[in-house]
Amino acid sequence: MSLAWTQHLVLVPVLLPLLCGSLLILLNESRHQLKFYINSASVLALLATALGLMWQIDANPEPGSMSVYLAANWSAPFGIALVADRLAALMLLLTAVMAACALLYSMLGWSRIGVHFHSLFQYLLMGLNGAFLTHDLFNLFVFFEVMLAASYGLVLHGYNLNRIRAGMQFIAINLVASLLFLIGVALLYAATGTLNMADLAGRAMDLAGPELNLLQLGAAVLAMAFLIKSAMWPLGFWLPTTYSAASPPVAVMFVLMTKVGVYAILRLWLLVFSSDAGEAAGFGFTALMWGGIATIVFGAAGMLASEVQGKLAGYGAIISSGTLLTAIGYGQSALIAPALFYLLSSTLAVAAFMLLIELIDRSRNPVQALLSVTMEAFGIEESPEQPVGKSIPAGFAFLGVAFALSGLIIAGLPPLSGFIAKFSLFHAVLNPGGNTELSLAGVVLIAVIVASGLAATLALMQFGARTFWASGSTTVRLRISEVIPIAALLSLCILMTTHASPLFAYIERVSDDLHQPGRYIERVLGQPVVPGVLGEEYP
Amino acid sequence: MELTIALGIGVLFGSGVWLVLRPRSFQVLTGLLLMSYAVNLFIFVMGGLWVDKPPLTLAEDVDPAAYTDPLPQALVLTAIVIGFATTALYLVLMIGSRGVTGTDHVDGQEPDQ
Amino acid sequence: MLASLLFLPFLGSVIAACLPASAHRREAWLAGGIALVGLLMTGWLYLQVGADEVVRYQWQWLPAYGLDFTLRMDGLAWLFTALVQGIGLLVVLYARYYMSPEDPVPKFFSFLLAFMGSMLGVVLSGNLIQLVVFWELTSLTSFLLIGYWHHRIDARRGARMAFTVTAAGGLCLLVGVLLLGNIAGSYDLDAVLASADAVRAHDHYLAILVLVALGALTKSAQFPFHFWLPHAMAAPTPVSAYLHSATMVKAGVFLLMRLWPVLSGTPEWMWIIAGAGCITLLIGSFFAIFQDDIKGLLAYSTISHLGLITVLLGLGTPLGMVAAIFHTLNHAIFKASLFMAAGIIDHEAGTRDLKLLRGLYSALPFTATLAIVASASMAGVPLLNGFLSKEMFFAETVLFGGRGNWWLSIAALVMGIFAVVYSLRFIGVFVGKLPTDLPKQPHEPPHWMRFPVECLVFLCLLVGIAPSLSIGPLLHQAVTSVLGAQTPDYSLTIWHGFNLPFMMSLIALSGGILLYAVLRRYGDLANRGKVPLFHRINGAQLFDNTLQYLADLSEWLIRRLGTRRLQAQLLLIIVVMCGVVLTLIRLPSLPDSSALTSFNGLFALLWVIGGVCAISAAWLAKYHRLAALILVSGTGLVTCITFLWLSAPDLALTQLMVETVTTVLILLGLRWLPPRIKPSVPVRVPGVTVLRRSRDLIIAATAGTLLTVISYGVLMQPKVGSIADFFLLRSLSEGGGTNVVNVLLVDFRAFDTFGEITVLSIVALTVYALLRRFRPSPESIALPPQQTNSIDPAVKQSSALQADTGYLKIPAVYLRFLLPFMWMIAVYFFMRGHNLPGGGFVAGLIFTVAMIVQYMIGGTVWVESRLRLQPHKWIAWGLAVAALTGLGACLLGYPFLTSHTAHVTLPLLGEIHLPSAFMFDLGVFMVVVGTTMLILVALSHQSIRSHRVPGGGAPEPKAALSGGDR
Repeated sequence: MSLAWTQHLVLVPVLLPLLCGSLLILLNESRHQLKFYINSASVLALLATALGLMWQIDANPEPGSMSVYLAANWSAPFGIALVADRLAALMLLLTAVMAACALLYSMLGWSRIGVHFHSLFQYLLMGLNGAFLTHDLFNLFVFFEVMLAASYGLVLHGYNLNRIRAGMQFIAINLVASLLFLIGVALLYAATGTLNMADLAGRAMDLAGPELNLLQLGAAVLAMAFLIKSAMWPLGFWLPTTYSAASPPVAVMFVLMTKVGVYAILRLWLLVFSSDAGEAAGFGFTALMWGGIATIVFGAAGMLASEVQGKLAGYGAIISSGTLLTAIGYGQSALIAPALFYLLSSTLAVAAFMLLIELIDRSRNPVQALLSVTMEAFGIEESPEQPVGKSIPAGFAFLGVAFALSGLIIAGLPPLSGFIAKFSLFHAVLNPGGNTELSLAGVVLIAVIVASGLAATLALMQFGARTFWASGSTTVRLRISEVIPIAALLSLCILMTTHASPLFAYIERVSDDLHQPGRYIERVLGQPVVPGVLGEEYP
Repeated sequence: MELTIALGIGVLFGSGVWLVLRPRSFQVLTGLLLMSYAVNLFIFVMGGLWVDKPPLTLAEDVDPAAYTDPLPQALVLTAIVIGFATTALYLVLMIGSRGVTGTDHVDGQEPDQ
Repeated sequence: MLASLLFLPFLGSVIAACLPASAHRREAWLAGGIALVGLLMTGWLYLQVGADEVVRYQWQWLPAYGLDFTLRMDGLAWLFTALVQGIGLLVVLYARYYMSPEDPVPKFFSFLLAFMGSMLGVVLSGNLIQLVVFWELTSLTSFLLIGYWHHRIDARRGARMAFTVTAAGGLCLLVGVLLLGNIAGSYDLDAVLASADAVRAHDHYLAILVLVALGALTKSAQFPFHFWLPHAMAAPTPVSAYLHSATMVKAGVFLLMRLWPVLSGTPEWMWIIAGAGCITLLIGSFFAIFQDDIKGLLAYSTISHLGLITVLLGLGTPLGMVAAIFHTLNHAIFKASLFMAAGIIDHEAGTRDLKLLRGLYSALPFTATLAIVASASMAGVPLLNGFLSKEMFFAETVLFGGRGNWWLSIAALVMGIFAVVYSLRFIGVFVGKLPTDLPKQPHEPPHWMRFPVECLVFLCLLVGIAPSLSIGPLLHQAVTSVLGAQTPDYSLTIWHGFNLPFMMSLIALSGGILLYAVLRRYGDLANRGKVPLFHRINGAQLFDNTLQYLADLSEWLIRRLGTRRLQAQLLLIIVVMCGVVLTLIRLPSLPDSSALTSFNGLFALLWVIGGVCAISAAWLAKYHRLAALILVSGTGLVTCITFLWLSAPDLALTQLMVETVTTVLILLGLRWLPPRIKPSVPVRVPGVTVLRRSRDLIIAATAGTLLTVISYGVLMQPKVGSIADFFLLRSLSEGGGTNVVNVLLVDFRAFDTFGEITVLSIVALTVYALLRRFRPSPESIALPPQQTNSIDPAVKQSSALQADTGYLKIPAVYLRFLLPFMWMIAVYFFMRGHNLPGGGFVAGLIFTVAMIVQYMIGGTVWVESRLRLQPHKWIAWGLAVAALTGLGACLLGYPFLTSHTAHVTLPLLGEIHLPSAFMFDLGVFMVVVGTTMLILVALSHQSIRSHRVPGGGAPEPKAALSGGDR
């Protein structure tokens, strides 16, 4: 028997960007249009793939359905297994959507203020997708590095003082984080003698004594690496600086990168330290929860204190990952689905906000903004031709509405998806599966999240009033290619609001899968290899 | 022997950490180098210490006990390469930053005091 | 029907937003039409509601979380719906004439309609969460409406205040409602109403009560949250007439009425609700007397009337409920008309200042009459609707007082007196003779602008004179829908006989007139700026201070809890790591270690060297970069030897090559760093620095020790059964190679290698992108002193010259001669890779080193004029080759990167057996060569580039080699 082409689908999100990126290297820098078209073609293909995968996995009614891909045809845990389950598919979809928006936004101007933007962009996608798909700890490290290397390139894209400064910080911190990652993986290997997550979880169940201790040490150090990515207090001070320095499309992709850390934590912890994990069960959840709380507080304070709007968005991202960590750390399976919904909604909203802020800046002082772009472009030979693309009417009104919407979602005010996310979260806290009494942690969680929402509201209102009311100018030239991404992101959020029910149905299935580690392990380790060795039968 | 190498790892890592906490970008660079040596060795020793048991299986059916653990070696190999790449990147960033900001302080500006 | 009733306004709002700014008329027609249609639909619905049935509409929104979109219209909801739409219609008509052409009217009507929609949503919600949603929507839309004239600072301030207070209240309400739903097991209103006793018995009751009360009291401006309402008067008058008479502020009391059956009837309820109401009614009416702005006066009177309603609800008696609903209705009617009248006055006379205005009767008699009647109703003069409900209120207080305490009756009486006073003060603007110094000369407004007022005043009279005929049934519907079985019997007649409440009314009227006269005579009421006694109580100031304090606090937090500096962040990371490890680590009882440990003197010596190198590198890195670099590579060599010693030949090889290349790289880079000369005379380091350094030292030592302990612990433990054996067993048989590590890299874990070469490529691209924008700092452009001295003849020669005839002649000859051999070695290592130490990566590095050497000796120009590599192409093709090799397997129906063997026939060699691993390794080789070359070349080009800048002049990149030292 041999693999049907549909089974190779899992591979596409990793391989396509690679090939596409390599192709883009070969093209001369001056051919912007062509590069852009190739890039977007690949992104669209990724979007299609993600949808295809999601359909393929979810079409299978049996719970815990996933498609396991054994790279190099070695059975897990020996080879490297790519696993696309419902969660991975969801994240792939999110990635593709964000990528499409960021790319379209960067079409004029931003993609041209430095070289190799498109290749780096593709490699970033490769790294992200790989990190979502791979099921081998060390391979996860490799894909993290792919992602990070690309992000280093992108944060420095369009080389100016701020970006260099931010880059120095971002890169140094992440290099140290990578070292921690390695230490963690090494310890886990020493403890269990395997790298495959499923196998690891299986072996972790009956660990004890020094091995268990090693396991915990390794997991903790590894978690630090992830938490640095997802900017948990006190490891996330790099975030606001970096976000506000990076060019908007890049910042959008970074919003996703913080979620990769959360994703890794979610995956690993629910798998390895689940309730039926013997002595290892429930390790570190409390720390996660309180760390998350601290993060939310920090983020909220930052929003209230920040004058620079770029920082505003950054702190918004911090709040969102803090909320996610808290929800995961709360340790109730009922919270996972709302948390995932929140993840989607907040990611989209913050991304839209990132893009919006740049347009708002431009509307405030158009001359300066234009100058800055050309200044940045000055360094390279071919300067971007002046804004083509026709400006849309009622641009200012659009900015206002978009700002209001994204603000509502970020602050979690009714009626948009942000509110639904928070409401469902609270609902889950108040009525978890078994009728347990409302704990102190639950009260704190609700109080802090509500307070952070209020803080965000105040900060955003302040900013909005200053921008849209106090400023006299009501005319701004927007380009279609910059309006569409924002509109798309926000309308997705609105869609999530109106069609919350089906989405939640899917997410509930995701969380079911996550809470059945046993089933999961069987499924991954049970995946058969394709029999026979290639080319041997040849005389 | 175990003790020796353990101490060695510790010393390397310690001096690396010390350097990483310094304010000058070159110090941070060297610190990262030392730390990555330490970490590579650390991964390596997770497979145990074996003298004269290189993982070269010259025969078809072999006794695994007669060889060192090849997996950590493969991991370290990858880690070395990636470390090399990131070091190069940081180096270039370092000189670039010095060029733009005019200082080699890690924050891109001299501390005001 | 209900759904359309609700969504019509929203639809209209969208349409209105899209209309051009010029279309005043159409806007008004649209808005009015929508309000009218809505009103008609509401009237139609009365057929059902009037028959005591509850109209429902349901749509599954998020059933999994008990959040359904439920609309539910009973008597109460109907009454409020009618109110919202009726007053809405009149306001639209009024605004049509009020708004001046230069205002962006489309925005106004679109906001107004949106607000109307959200208000309807609040009153029609059959699901508490949904109610909260619309609740917050009203806050939002009111924010936009109040801030409509956003060029004015007071408008912005008022809007922000209103929104903050009400939205915060909304959040509290949300939590309260969540708890309610948690107890009732559903957020559906009927379910919650059904489980009233359970709620009152539950131990979260107080929390729920407080949270809900916070929501309601903030919304309807009750003490201590009353301060936002007067500031909201910065809104255009139609907005005030709508929001602050009939709708927005009534949402709070509506909520209290809705949840009355669930929450009321406990002492907590009475103390919180009635207490707040009582204080509010006194403060409001008192402040109202001393306002100079008409709208300010009306605002405070609104506050006090809302207080009255709240008190009635707080009493928790059925009759109180009746009175509350009734007064809500009446207040809406007369207050709306009064606001409109105030607007007309403002519109005509150009000012709202009570100190200036007087004698307006002569100028606008009709309006004056209407306004006087309305304010009489506000004062509670008989035969007007205000009188009826106020008398009910008095009656209630008397009943309540009957149980022994009279404070409430007293308060009511005082409030009544004050009400009369401020009503008189308002009426005052019409009497006397018209002043000449008014901004504008007032005339009667256009008839249609006055029409709404006329309607409302007519209603005042109608309800006031024939209550049972006019309002009776509607009121009854509303009351029964709330109270159900416990509906009391009440009479809506004007004359209840000469009883105590009537007495109180008379006292209030006469006392009020008296007090007014006294105040005018002695209190200098006409032109006193501020409120006596209480003028220091300034909620708004408090509010602003709170916000300011909050901002300061958060800045302080950010400064304390956060940092922008890299060192601090790295420090934190390390410290956290140490902390985590220290808390978790449990030292295992070491087994008899002598069995495991073996001591080897040579090895120990090796590591002594290694350690010394590391430490001294750490010591020297600040002032002696070159020395530090050499020491570091010394450490690298020790590591390399260790690998070799501990049977990892591949690692040793790789480490060696990487070491070489890295060193060259850094040497190339050193040239661009600023010189840092160690001060010859030792300067005193400040104490804080010493402290910082010792702290870092301790932390570094801790980290090192911890890693030592862990690795020693691991080494001392018996190894766990790992997956490694599998590789050893299958490497040759299935992987087809004897060098297990290499087979791991190209077969078992080829996917890792795949990612790894991608990382290399990315970094190379990044470096390239960085360096082509590289701008050296001015002082590092000039040649280093070593190259500018006059003694060394080489200084004057070009690099090529030095290599051809100069002092580099001999090495040049050697190295150029060596080039092909080094290539051969590279090929050799590449070929043997699969079976013996070596492989694509090492080969690539060797190849590169061969090239670098040429660059070093001959200089960039010389090499590139002879042989030009195109690193970009190498990278791209390398990646492509690796990927396509992997894809080959997919074509044959096997997973990506499955190792297979192809058979190619070459012209000379004939058929050769080509394992895919070989091709894959080739890809690796190409990528490595490409990346390394790209980085090195890009770096070495910098020194040439910099010489284009005037002032430079160093011949070639070799300059970089000597550059960094000292």
